[in-house]
Amino acid sequence: MKDILTIIFRLTVACLLAGLVMGAAFIATNKAKKHNIHVNEQKVMLSLLGYSEKKPAPDSVAMHEMYRYLVGEGEELTMGYLLPLQDGTFSFVTIDLAGTFVAQTPVALVAEKATEEGERTQAVGAAIGADKLLRYADQTIVVTDNGKRMAYLLPGRFPGFKTFIGAMLALDQDFTIRGLEIMEHEEDPGLGAEIDQEYFKNQFKGKPLETVKKLEVKKTPLPEEYLKALEAGKSGLGAEEVARIQEQYQDDDIYALTGATISSSAVTNGVKAMVKKFAYRLAILDRVLAEQHIATPF
Amino acid sequence: MATDKTNLQLVVNGILNENPIFRLVLSMCPAVGISTTVMNGFMLGIAVLFVQVFSSCTISLFKNVIHPRIRIPTYTLTIATWVTVIDMVLAAYLPEAYARMGIFVKLIVAFAIITMRLEMFACKESVNASFWDGIGMGLGFMFGMMALGFVRELLGLGTVLGYDVLGFKPLLFFVLPFAGFFCVGLMMAFFNYVEIVYKRAKRA
Repeated sequence: MKDILTIIFRLTVACLLAGLVMGAAFIATNKAKKHNIHVNEQKVMLSLLGYSEKKPAPDSVAMHEMYRYLVGEGEELTMGYLLPLQDGTFSFVTIDLAGTFVAQTPVALVAEKATEEGERTQAVGAAIGADKLLRYADQTIVVTDNGKRMAYLLPGRFPGFKTFIGAMLALDQDFTIRGLEIMEHEEDPGLGAEIDQEYFKNQFKGKPLETVKKLEVKKTPLPEEYLKALEAGKSGLGAEEVARIQEQYQDDDIYALTGATISSSAVTNGVKAMVKKFAYRLAILDRVLAEQHIATPF
Repeated sequence: MATDKTNLQLVVNGILNENPIFRLVLSMCPAVGISTTVMNGFMLGIAVLFVQVFSSCTISLFKNVIHPRIRIPTYTLTIATWVTVIDMVLAAYLPEAYARMGIFVKLIVAFAIITMRLEMFACKESVNASFWDGIGMGLGFMFGMMALGFVRELLGLGTVLGYDVLGFKPLLFFVLPFAGFFCVGLMMAFFNYVEIVYKRAKRA
């Protein structure tokens, strides 16, 4: 009996110690980690738009974040968009599933706090009333150049082989894919992990909406010249040559990675769903915004 | 019972006599699953090296207060703590390295080699000896993984460290997990053979 008590005591102390060490490490590193993730995201966004440190984005380019929520009221389900307005305030616009406008509520939110998920959701909840069910769905960044829409950035998550794959997708104003970046994944190294290689990601580049809508995975080997064009950085192919080959394969399906068909089709289907749904939702949102004369900066 | 080996002997022991993969036959899951390329083997080796050294030192430091009946849970707890801490520190201060290594660090918690070294060595020996044993085991594991990775990458993808050497892909079979078993078995046979030849030569 005494033995058991000592065992319990020692194991508890050991667990507490381990917890303390991990907690301390978490507190010490969390800020830096979040900062890194944020910096990385910004870098990825700019590189997808074609800017880099050497070629910074001009001042006329601005990014506007738009957050989509699901709002439940009893049995009714509506979609809510948290939009920035031209005068710097925020507004929450709800649209029902059939695409008709429901309500517009002003949200008391400071721009700096909009990026914090907790504070943002709280502010939205306060604005629409606490009795409604509110669930954060996703985020879209509308990029404008001199007030005109230039591109859309869609951060998204979709199921991969083992767990979720986080990706960032850049679309043109006519929904042609500008680029794809894999932000996080836990696919198998050497097989599924190849999804973050240039020759896979770049296959999505330049595919128009119509092609993306029926995009599939194809299990034939990647043609030699296409591979060279996809890995332009490595093979040293000229920009013109790359553009010509890219165009030639533009309407092709995605060539699957060898030994990782599931990961390949997971990314393909994920991208397909993201683009399709976004194009559909944006059309509805744009119509509502025009009908209700809601002035957004994009 | 303290070890009578010098620090250098402890390190060499981990790499050759008691190589975790080829002699102790421990941690076969990662050896088979991850050793598809030299770089993967190296990354996992580094991660194991750090966790092994930190865990060995911790256990050896606290060896007198660990109740013998809860050794294993305590070891697991120690390893898990170090893995989590290393994971968080890497993510915070070395984001570049983390982007490449993060996936490997998280795998380590369940590695048999680390628990086994804690049980066989660290809980009996001094902190100093445990430190060098940890280094030896880590290096031995890294060596084994890289050797396996070299063979599998060369025969499976035709590359070494990502550079195209052969210019074609001989057998994709070698990159797939089950080929890991064949490679481990064949290389184990090879190392045993080398040992026999060496011993014969020594006797003669």
